[in-house]
Amino acid sequence: MPVEIPKDTWAGQVRTITLGATAAEGGTRSHTVTIGGQKSLPFMHFEHEAPYPPLVALEIKDRRPDDWSALLLERWGDVVNAPGDWAKAAEAAGAELIVLALSLTDANGEPTRPEAAVAATKAVLASTGLPLIVWGPGQAEADNELLVPVAEATKGERIAIGLCEDKNYRTLVATAMANNHLVIARSPMDVNLAKQLNILISDMGLPLDRILMDPTTGALGYGIEYGYSVMERLRLAALQGDGMTQLPMIVTPGYEAWKTKESKVGAGMPDAWGSWEERAITWETITAMTLIESGADIVVLRHPESVRRVQTAIKDLNSVREMA
Amino acid sequence: MYIIGENIHIISEKVKAALSEKDTKFFQDLAVRQVEAGAQALDLNLGPRKKDWGEVFPWIVKTIEAVVDVPLSIDTTNVEGMEAALKTISKAQPILNSASAEPERLEKVPLLAKKYNARLIALTMGESGIPVGADQRVNIALEKLIPRALEVDLPIKDLLIDPLVLTVSGCQQYCPELIEAVRTLQYAWDPPPSISVGLSNVSNAVPRENRPLINRTYCAMLMGAGLKMMIADPFDAELKEVIRVIETRDENTSLGRLYLKLHDRIAAMEHLTPEDVNMTDAQQVSIWKTVQILRNQVIYADSYLQQEAA
Repeated sequence: MPVEIPKDTWAGQVRTITLGATAAEGGTRSHTVTIGGQKSLPFMHFEHEAPYPPLVALEIKDRRPDDWSALLLERWGDVVNAPGDWAKAAEAAGAELIVLALSLTDANGEPTRPEAAVAATKAVLASTGLPLIVWGPGQAEADNELLVPVAEATKGERIAIGLCEDKNYRTLVATAMANNHLVIARSPMDVNLAKQLNILISDMGLPLDRILMDPTTGALGYGIEYGYSVMERLRLAALQGDGMTQLPMIVTPGYEAWKTKESKVGAGMPDAWGSWEERAITWETITAMTLIESGADIVVLRHPESVRRVQTAIKDLNSVREMA
Repeated sequence: MYIIGENIHIISEKVKAALSEKDTKFFQDLAVRQVEAGAQALDLNLGPRKKDWGEVFPWIVKTIEAVVDVPLSIDTTNVEGMEAALKTISKAQPILNSASAEPERLEKVPLLAKKYNARLIALTMGESGIPVGADQRVNIALEKLIPRALEVDLPIKDLLIDPLVLTVSGCQQYCPELIEAVRTLQYAWDPPPSISVGLSNVSNAVPRENRPLINRTYCAMLMGAGLKMMIADPFDAELKEVIRVIETRDENTSLGRLYLKLHDRIAAMEHLTPEDVNMTDAQQVSIWKTVQILRNQVIYADSYLQQEAA
C-alpha cells in the first residue's frame, strides 16, 4: 500500500545569517559560514530542504581552564595554555567555528585585562581561518570591559559577541553595530523573554541578520526537555511567520553536559555506568543531537570526539534524502 | 455585564496598609466608589488571614455593609474565615469565592454555600492543576463541580463556574482555550450555570501601561463567546466603554465598530481578519496585535506592540 507522507507548508522562514568576513569583505577569515534559511522543521527534507546544515563549534578558553574536566584537559594536552594553538587544534579536530570564552581572571587570579583579551582574540584569528565567536566571562561589568576592546580591535571580522542579556545588552549591541560584528542574545529558557530581547536589540538599530539567539538549555537529564520545548516553540513561531523569532539559534550542550555528574565524576561509580570517557562523550553528543533536532543551528561542544560523532549524525540525517 | 469589583484585594499595597491599621474609612470609600463606578457586587480578598480570621472577616463585612447594599464576594481559601464572614452578612445574598475540584475545597465550600444560601464560584481546577484545553475544563465542571452542587442541593442558578483566566505573559496557550470554555459551558447543563471569570488575570506580569488594552480586548472577545459576569476593575473607564459599545451596539466610532466586529467574529466562531482592521490607524493596529497574542498566534513579549503587525 503506498504511504503518503503528510507535508506541512510554512509561511515563515528562519533568517539567513553569515558569520565571519574574508579579506574581500573587510576581515581576515579564509571563509565565512552561513546558517538559517529553513522553511521547515529540522531534517524534514521532504517538506523543504534546509539550505544550510547545523554547525558544530568548539569552545576554547583564553587560558588553561582549571575547572574543566580532567578528561578534556588530558585530551587537548598542552594547547590549552595558548589560545592560538588551541584554536588550530580545534580546527584540526573538525570545528566549523571557534568559540573563544574569555576568563574572569588571569592565571594570577587578577581580573582579566582588556589587552590580554584582545591579544588572545588576535592569536586565535592569526592561527585559524575559521569564523569566530567571543564570549565574555559572563558578568555584565567584565563582559563590557573586555568585549568592547575586542570588538574594536577586530573591526569588520563579523565576530559574534555575547552574551547579551536583558540586563546587559546595550553596550555590546552598540559596539557590534560600530564594528560590524554580530551579537548573541541569551535568554533564560523562556519564549516570551527570548522574543522580548530580540525586540529590544533590534530596536537599537542592529539588523536582525546580525543577531543569533541563545535560548539557554540544560543537559540530558538536567532539564533538556525544557530547553527543547522552548526551542521548538520558537522555531514553530518562526515558521508560522513571527518575525521576531526568526533568528538562528545557538546553544551550549558542551558547557551543559560537562557539568553533569555523569561527565564530571570518574571514580566510585557503579560498574554499569561503564567507561567514564565514553559516558561523558555520549552525554555531550546526545545532548547536542537532541538540541539539533529541536532546531539548533550552532551547537558549541568541548570534546573532539563529540564533534566527530555529531557531525557524522548530521551528515547521516541529511543523507536520508538521497535514499528517498 | 455584571461586574464584581476587584479592588479590595490584598495584593494592593494600599489595601495591605489600610488593613493593618483597620482603616474603616479607606475600605468604605473604596467600596462606595466601586459601586458608584458600576460594580454590582464587591469581591473582598484579604488573603487567608490564618491567625486573625475570626476578627478580620466579620470586621470587613460589617465595615462594607455599613455603606453599600450590593452582594459581597468572600474571596479566600480559608474556609473558617468564609464561615465567619457568612455569619456576619446581613444584606444581599453573598458569593463564596471559591470552590474547585480539589477534594478538600470541593467537599467543604459547597456545604457552606448551601448552609448560608450563598452563590458559589467554582473553579475548573483539579488536583493536577488547571488543564490547558477547553474541553478538559468543561469536563471538570461536568464531572465534579455540577455533580457536587446537585449533591448538596445547591440550586444551579447559584452556581458560578469560573473556567480561569491565566496570563498571556507565560500561560499564553490558555488564553484562546478559555474563550472556548466560556462558550461551551453555556451549553453544559440545563439550566446552565452562570459563568464568571477574573478578567485582569489575563494581564498579570504584563507592564502596567499595556494591561488595560489587553484586558478590554479580551473582554470584547469573551463577550463574543457569551460572558455576562466577571470580576474586574470598575474604575477602568475604557473597559466600561467597550462593554457599553458592545451592549448597545454603538457603531458611531471606527474604534467601536472594530470592537463590535471582534465581538461578532468570536460569536460566529470566526476570527478577526486583517480586512476588518484599518491598518493605518495606530489604535486599531494595537487591538489587532493584541488579538493575535490573545489567540496565541504570535508569541507574547512585553514589547509586542512595537513589533510590526504580522
